[in-house]
Amino acid sequence: MSISEIATTTSAILQGLGTVLTLFFVVLVASLPLGFLMTLGTRSRVAPLRWIINAYIYVMRGTPLMLQLFFIYYGLPFVNDFFKTALHSAMVCALIGFSLNYAAYFAEIFRGGLLSIDRGQYEACQVLGLNKVQTTFHVILPQMIRVALPSITNESITLVKDTALVFAISITEILYYAKAAVTRTGNVFPYVIAFVIYLAMNTVLQLFFNWLEKKMAY
Amino acid sequence: MNLIEVSGLKKGFSGQDVLTDVSFTVKRGDVIAVIGPSGAGKSTMLRCLIDLEKVDGGSIVVEGEPFVTDGVYPPAAKVRAITAKMGMVFQSFNLFPHLSVRKNLTMPLVKTQGVAREEADARAMSILGKVGLQDKVDAMPSTLSGGQKQRVAIARALMLNPDIMLFDEPTSALDPQLTAEVLGVMRKLAEEGMTMVVVTHEMSFARDVANKILFMCDGEIVESGPPEEVFGNPKDRRMAEFFGNVS
Repeated sequence: MSISEIATTTSAILQGLGTVLTLFFVVLVASLPLGFLMTLGTRSRVAPLRWIINAYIYVMRGTPLMLQLFFIYYGLPFVNDFFKTALHSAMVCALIGFSLNYAAYFAEIFRGGLLSIDRGQYEACQVLGLNKVQTTFHVILPQMIRVALPSITNESITLVKDTALVFAISITEILYYAKAAVTRTGNVFPYVIAFVIYLAMNTVLQLFFNWLEKKMAY
Repeated sequence: MNLIEVSGLKKGFSGQDVLTDVSFTVKRGDVIAVIGPSGAGKSTMLRCLIDLEKVDGGSIVVEGEPFVTDGVYPPAAKVRAITAKMGMVFQSFNLFPHLSVRKNLTMPLVKTQGVAREEADARAMSILGKVGLQDKVDAMPSTLSGGQKQRVAIARALMLNPDIMLFDEPTSALDPQLTAEVLGVMRKLAEEGMTMVVVTHEMSFARDVANKILFMCDGEIVESGPPEEVFGNPKDRRMAEFFGNVS
């Protein structure tokens, strides 16, 4: 391929970038707090709540994300008219499916972070008069995130790559445009461009998390 | 005036009695050293006073207000109001590792009492002066020595202006040199008239600083009184044995 062909192909493939970034950021913003709520739920005094959340995490982690996406996009609309209308957009289905799936993983990551926190921290909070909410947000959460950060980094990198799965529910993202370009040009090079684009995104992500980890060190 | 009155305290863990029948009073200005062999129930007794453990029976009255009556607690808000009169220092410091010394001191005050940040900062500096650590105000706990950490922990407890300070083996995690600097701060606090209950293995501190000794063994107070009396003439066999072992 000539330089100009590479440039044209690259800009064609980059049409999918917006979709990938939207998926990435919306899913991250939705699933991180949702995962944290689930972590808190698994420690609730209400036993049925613990069971439900643990079962949820078990199912979400134990089945393919692709199957979950198919279930939501291709399956649920057959159930009733509400789902048919609500889940009409593939992007909406992808955002829901990814967020629910990643929340389960984040819940497990946060659980590990919580386990690392010494009981003495809770006792200190209690004798200093901090209530549960204050204890959670000013003492436990900051320490938990620091412990969980390397795993969160890992999940985020996986998320960037997993966005390619939405190709299967007919969303046009980077992989879609790369495949189209390969078919059109009869050349493998558009795939190489896709490799480079994913790698570039994850490089930026990795640098960001490295910076964050340094900033949160104590 | 009696700041704390404890009577008939009982506490067990999974069927095992830890406290069988503990009664004592703390008067304003008292410095009480609680001593005794490991497993005697000293720490458990102290933790019951500030609601870190729930008692199974008995009563505690703090500054005239019933905190536990025959094993029954008042509503949580009332319990919090009563325990707020006390500060607690732990063996393992329990500083907040993600917060600077300044924030360790000011955060609880700002969050629980809505004190303005500048006011809390000023108070933190003055109390850090008391424990000799003003130069560490911006340090993170991980950069401090054990003795400095414990002095910060004492300062943090003092920020909330407690009437009574509880110490749970405050020097047991420290080597002798660092122990001395922490005991120095505690001695100063005692001289200023702070009411203190100290669970300790430091017999010199018990002898020199405390005005009252509680010797605990097998979940009860076996002997109590002024140090010269308790140390000079131990009546109970278990206490004589204990001193035989430590000295």
